[in-house]
Amino acid sequence: MTIVNTSGDAVEQGWRTVESVESSGPHHGIIVSPAILQDSFDESDSAALSQVGVRLTVDDDVSEIAAYVPHLGLIELVFAHFKDGRPYSAATTIRRDYKFTHELRASGDVLPDQAIFLIRSGFSSVDVPDQFTAQEFKKSLMAYSVAYQSAYDSHLSLIDELRRSTPDVAAE
Amino acid sequence: MYVYDSLDKTLLNQRVAEFRDQVKRRLDGDLTEDQFKPLRLMNGLYLQLHAYMLRVAIPYGTLSSDQMRKLAYIAKTYDRGYGHFTTRQNIQFNWIELSTAPDLLYDLSEVDLHAIQTSGNCIRNVTADPYAGAAADELDDPRIWSEVIRQWSTLHPEFSFLPRKFKIAVTGSKADRAAIKFHDIGLKIVRNNEGVLGFAVYVGGGQGRTPIVAPLIKSFLPAQDLLRYLDAVLRVYNRHGRRDNIYKARIKILVDSMGADSFAAEVAAEFDRLDPELLSVRDEDVSRLRDMFAQPFLRPDPDASSSLEDLVKKSPRLGLWFKSNTHPHKTPGYSIVTISLKPIGGIPGDATAEQMFAVADLADRFSLGEIRVTYTQNLILPHVRQADLFVLWQELERLNLATPNVGLASDIIACPGLDYCSLANARSIPISQRISDRFADLNAQHDVGPLDIRISGCINACGHHHAGHIGILGVDKKGEERYQLTLGGQGNGESEVGKIVGPGFDEDGIVDAVETVVSTYLTLRTKGEEFSQTLARTGQGPFKERLYDNR
Ligand code: HEM
Ligand code: SF4
Repeated sequence: MTIVNTSGDAVEQGWRTVESVESSGPHHGIIVSPAILQDSFDESDSAALSQVGVRLTVDDDVSEIAAYVPHLGLIELVFAHFKDGRPYSAATTIRRDYKFTHELRASGDVLPDQAIFLIRSGFSSVDVPDQFTAQEFKKSLMAYSVAYQSAYDSHLSLIDELRRSTPDVAAE
Repeated sequence: MYVYDSLDKTLLNQRVAEFRDQVKRRLDGDLTEDQFKPLRLMNGLYLQLHAYMLRVAIPYGTLSSDQMRKLAYIAKTYDRGYGHFTTRQNIQFNWIELSTAPDLLYDLSEVDLHAIQTSGNCIRNVTADPYAGAAADELDDPRIWSEVIRQWSTLHPEFSFLPRKFKIAVTGSKADRAAIKFHDIGLKIVRNNEGVLGFAVYVGGGQGRTPIVAPLIKSFLPAQDLLRYLDAVLRVYNRHGRRDNIYKARIKILVDSMGADSFAAEVAAEFDRLDPELLSVRDEDVSRLRDMFAQPFLRPDPDASSSLEDLVKKSPRLGLWFKSNTHPHKTPGYSIVTISLKPIGGIPGDATAEQMFAVADLADRFSLGEIRVTYTQNLILPHVRQADLFVLWQELERLNLATPNVGLASDIIACPGLDYCSLANARSIPISQRISDRFADLNAQHDVGPLDIRISGCINACGHHHAGHIGILGVDKKGEERYQLTLGGQGNGESEVGKIVGPGFDEDGIVDAVETVVSTYLTLRTKGEEFSQTLARTGQGPFKERLYDNR
């Protein structure tokens, strides 16, 4: 299992998935389901929650754990199929509406060729599927140096700031 | 016209390089066909019955003469010497090799053309009124706004894996020549009571298995909020659109099941959550685009029409052509000329490399180097001096591109059907050829008047049969090709879904049936009444009688 960051470099995993939680704690970097999160943690216990991550499938609704979200250390969105693009919009919502600033991880069925879309939508790490390598994700991330839209990773876009701030283009 | 700057070019070059690498990985066996498929589809490459088919985007149907020359070169070099203009203002090449597709895309990129997002479940090439910038009834040039949408939607990080494909059309005129209400989003440029420029937004139209005329979702959206609103619509769709059944995955089904009002309310709520600053379309960007699309000054020539009248008297065929294939330009003394890609008995929308080269030269000589593509599968020279019409007509005649039939019985829209398409139930092209032959007499076609015949080879409705005055749908009945007839559709100006008349026909029967419908109209019409008006007045009854009673 390899985790890559926004530059496509392999990083320390740091988190482990658990199927149940010993109530006594303290916990260090565990990923749980939304149900376990709600059963085992208090939504106001921000210290404990900073060591907890939650894994959401495409059918989970983030609004059901809204009160936890700002305190969580990690949110993982699982792609059911690389063609099912719902997690991209979920990422936008989590970043923008819930102001979530910690690690947002993509896992499940993702292709290296989608890496740039993931990062630009607000994901900060990708759990690389077994049949691919970190290098493939890195290569794909480097495929483009410009983009038309402002996005989570950068507000520079062809439509507005970038075009204005590139002198030779303004002069063309 | 829009001219790519170094940033547009950088992105396009990187796209070509990325695709070259993807093709290599596929050919080397590093990618399975299943993994490669979504990648090639995002570059317009389909696997069809006989070969790969490449669909090239013609941004909002506008081409420069150099771009047309490049398409001709592609047809000659990579295909079998022809290309096919589609009902979405694109061009398709039918005989492409995977191994040379990256070279083809590189060649296209030299003239700022590409195949990005011409297929796949993403925001497709934006379509627009083909008379943009030339029509007298235009409030604002739809190409400006189409270009804004093109940039915003290109490689959109969040909206590239939608439940289904997504098509946007824009018109700036009172007359809708872009069939906007048959699109996922249709935008009509309007001004509010204070004179502010904006859009009426229609969402959830479409054809296919469930034809729907899009409801109005917002009657006035200020122009600067365009992208913010589109962003909100797309997010609601991406979140809630169905993914369990591809026939129910288009936004039309979502809007229909939620109800237009609650859909609009959800979009409005999402719109309010968005940072207006980030997505606002700024005046300075719009004026930059406006300058690019502004046409050079055309000197009005109000006397041109009288000398034209003399010429028309000399040649009746020129007279017919002038009547059906030209349209008044906003500048006196100029015409918008339609080049018919519907020769009698020909394949609708096909053009040979020679014809494309020649059209490019004619555009340089007569139309400021500009060409348009219509969704009815014809080409347009938008800015022709009437004083040049006679010479232009002679050149077009020589090229077999002056059939005087635009908007008439033999100006048939047809999808590729069973001749190329792996999803087809029946052939479309040969049926359209036989109908065209049946109505070969052009004087008679002019007498019949405006008639819109459309053919699809299956219920996906690529040939827009639901929206034709006469619609023909290929169906499979116990392994036999059959054709269903619909009457009363409207796709030009008005939007209406046609109704099935009765039991289907075989290949010979459908050609006869179309003729029966037309002759029935001729006996029923009152003076000056067009086909669709007669049908609206009488209903299908008299047509049914003639079609089925004496069987
Ligand atoms: C040659 C192979 C082609 C294939 C396999 C194909 C496939 C399809 C499919 C599956 C749909 C239905 C999608 C849906 O409703 O969700 C569709 C719709 C459509 N296609 Fe094609 N198509 C082909 C060629 C064309 C061509 C040549 C044109 C233009 C002449 C075209 C234009 C359209 C249009 C306008 C629609 C209707 C979209 C709507 O529902 O609003 N397609 N096509
Ligand atoms: S309507 Fe059907 S047969 Fe015709 S091109 Fe579309 S999918 Fe193919």
